[in-house]
Amino acid sequence: MDFDDTPEEAEYRAGVRRALEEHAAELLHVGAGEETVDAATAEAELRRTQRVLYEAGLVGVTWPREHGGRGGTLVQQAIVQQELARARIPALVNHIGLGMCGPTVIAHGSDDQRRRYLPRLLRADDVWCQLFSEPAAGSDLAALRTTAVRDGDDWVVNGQKVWTTLAHVADHGILLARTDPQRPKHAGLTMFVVDMHAPGVTVRPLRQMIGSAGFNEVFFDDVRIPDSERLGEPGEGWRVALTTLMNERVAIGGAGSDLGVPVETLVAHARQRLPQLDHDRQVLARQAVGRAVVASLATRYTGYRRFTELSRGGVPGPEASAGKLAGTAAAKLVADAGVRLLGDDAVYAATAEGDETWQRSQGFLPGLAIAGGTDQVLRNILGERVLGLPPEPRSDKSAPFAGGAR
Amino acid sequence: MNFDLGPDQRDAAAGARDFYRGSASPTAAREALEGGAVAPGRKALADIGFLGITVPESAGGAGGSLLDLAVVAEQGGAVLAGPSLATAARAAVLVAGAPHLAAQLADGSAAVAVVDGPLPGSSPSVDAAGATLFLGLDDDGALVVGEGEATPGRPLDATRGLASVRLTSRRVLAEDAGQLWARARQVAAVVLAAEDLGAADAAVQMAVGYAQQREAFGRRIGSYQAVKHMLVDAWVGVDQLRSLVWWAAWAADAAPEELPLAASAAKAHAAEVLERAAEACVQVHGGIGFTWEHDAHLYWRRAKVDRLLLGDAAEHLDAVARLAVAGALG
Ligand SMILES: Cc1cc2nc3c(=O)[nH]c(=O)nc-3n(C[C@H](O)[C@H](O)[C@H](O)COP(=O)(O)OP(=O)(O)OC[C@H]3O[C@@H](n4cnc5c(N)ncnc54)[C@H](O)[C@@H]3O)c2cc1C
Repeated sequence: MDFDDTPEEAEYRAGVRRALEEHAAELLHVGAGEETVDAATAEAELRRTQRVLYEAGLVGVTWPREHGGRGGTLVQQAIVQQELARARIPALVNHIGLGMCGPTVIAHGSDDQRRRYLPRLLRADDVWCQLFSEPAAGSDLAALRTTAVRDGDDWVVNGQKVWTTLAHVADHGILLARTDPQRPKHAGLTMFVVDMHAPGVTVRPLRQMIGSAGFNEVFFDDVRIPDSERLGEPGEGWRVALTTLMNERVAIGGAGSDLGVPVETLVAHARQRLPQLDHDRQVLARQAVGRAVVASLATRYTGYRRFTELSRGGVPGPEASAGKLAGTAAAKLVADAGVRLLGDDAVYAATAEGDETWQRSQGFLPGLAIAGGTDQVLRNILGERVLGLPPEPRSDKSAPFAGGAR
Repeated sequence: MNFDLGPDQRDAAAGARDFYRGSASPTAAREALEGGAVAPGRKALADIGFLGITVPESAGGAGGSLLDLAVVAEQGGAVLAGPSLATAARAAVLVAGAPHLAAQLADGSAAVAVVDGPLPGSSPSVDAAGATLFLGLDDDGALVVGEGEATPGRPLDATRGLASVRLTSRRVLAEDAGQLWARARQVAAVVLAAEDLGAADAAVQMAVGYAQQREAFGRRIGSYQAVKHMLVDAWVGVDQLRSLVWWAAWAADAAPEELPLAASAAKAHAAEVLERAAEACVQVHGGIGFTWEHDAHLYWRRAKVDRLLLGDAAEHLDAVARLAVAGALG
């Protein structure tokens, strides 16, 4: 048991650091506690940052070389992630493409699709989004109603997606649509790659509860998709989507990195703020900080265990859902302790000095408990797939979707 | 990075599981509440070598690491075994400079307990009931050893051997032992957390097994989300506690500067995880879980007592915050 870099890993890490220093002037950086930059206002810088990182060998680390990746190990990928966080580089503009869409294209796309899409995705020449959720289909994704109807060599798509992160800047998306309403709901779905600039695609940004625009509604009116843009066989869309969703939970809850504000940032904040509180308040605040630190470390070290399994060639199992569930809970404790330490400033959206780190984190976390599988859905998955508890009785799995069994 | 047990530790855990399953049980823990002996008892633990896992080979021990001991302790916790290996591990740290005492600890010829609280008296101390030799810290910060009289209270969990002690003799083993004492207590907190890990895991498994079979309203109760989600939260806690216990036990030998924070984190988490698991276990069983004959309350008793031993969660959370603010997270 050890937590150290091997000599090769240390060397790799040093190379990553050198690259980040060398290219610092071309890369976008964020302040402590900020995680993302609004893609609408900083799109060009974000795309450039990813391109520079790609050219430095730091994007697509684990992707196969034939698809433009580096053919590296999960350990190297984790090292890059740690070093990007350390250098305060914001989340990559194509994080959805890299974490979910790309792996789905690699697993289910044709050679032609892989060749056309993957290198451009890696360089952020194209930004990708994931078009799954709909107004009437979120947790119950297979209830989706957007249809794709075969017409010669094309499919014609009609319907609406919603909560689509990055759709306002995206060039491509992976789209899950219903191609056979006569079959049971999970069996009548097909996955496609859709060109977001195609005629008939309309994107309307939605304002999130913290005020910024991060996700969108997307409307499809007679949008034509060539059959060559299908991912997997017709009717196999659910199986393809499971690849995406499994990658999503690993991407979000993965190898021991903190969701939300890193716990070290909370500790530095406490160091500065604690002495300004009276004695009784200090006692209470230390309880909150201690609890947040314990929850964060428990999640981080559990991530290290999962990571060790993966680095030996294991495949991510349903346990990955536990990482996202516990990581979200820990991030809430961290944000809450951070806000409480602000004293009187805690009731405002920013401190007197203009720092909004803690309020932004507090306001972003409710979304984390919903996106990529709600807390409740993750508990269902863990209960059934890890603990082996029986599923709930369901009436919607075998009847034809069109028959009303939604 | 390699955050996993080694093959030897896996073998040791498997061996310990067999030993403990054959020599201790919730049934024995129930009998101990009615005056029976604590199982497997000191002698059996000495004979199999568990009291000396961290005692140097030169003193008749196995010269193992705290992680070696923690994986064994987890198995003891699963069947509510006593005495606690936390006592052995704590004493082994304290008597490191006294090889003859270390040898007596390892071979069981002395029944050693460590007492907390102002000497010559003590607060309730683990495994003090039935002990013959006591280690304590006196007002001047000296480590002392002596004989004494143990007065047990009415037990809530008889396997912990709790008693208050009055020393009848004492001699100084080491002056200026405050740091050694603190380290020994951290080591003990890690081992207690390891035993709590085993107990919590067992309680969750018991509850899951019942939820897979028991039916109500025409369905198995594990299909109800109120039951399922309660069990998932308990399981996630156990899975996370395992990470903290391994890390803290590893740190004791491999990264001693990390031990104070890691030990407090593990102990604070253990208190809450075992309590949640044991309470869920009683609740999922319904009426049968509230009976004397059922095993659920024995885990519940262990939870209600262990959470207060060697510092409660409030004390350890405070320590974690203070250490982190002082720079322990780097
Ligand atoms: C910030 C953010 C970004 C997102 N980005 C994307 C994206 O890029 N692409 C995309 O396709 N989607 C995206 N989503 C959508 C997200 O996947 C869905 O919101 C999520 O799956 C929940 O679906 P819903 O909103 O329809 O809520 P519902 O499914 O209607 O859930 C409502 C409530 O009911 C509960 N519930 C539902 N089913 C069950 C059940 N079986 N058991 C217990 N409780 C249940 C849920 O937990 C929730 O509390 C994003 C969401 C957010 C918040």
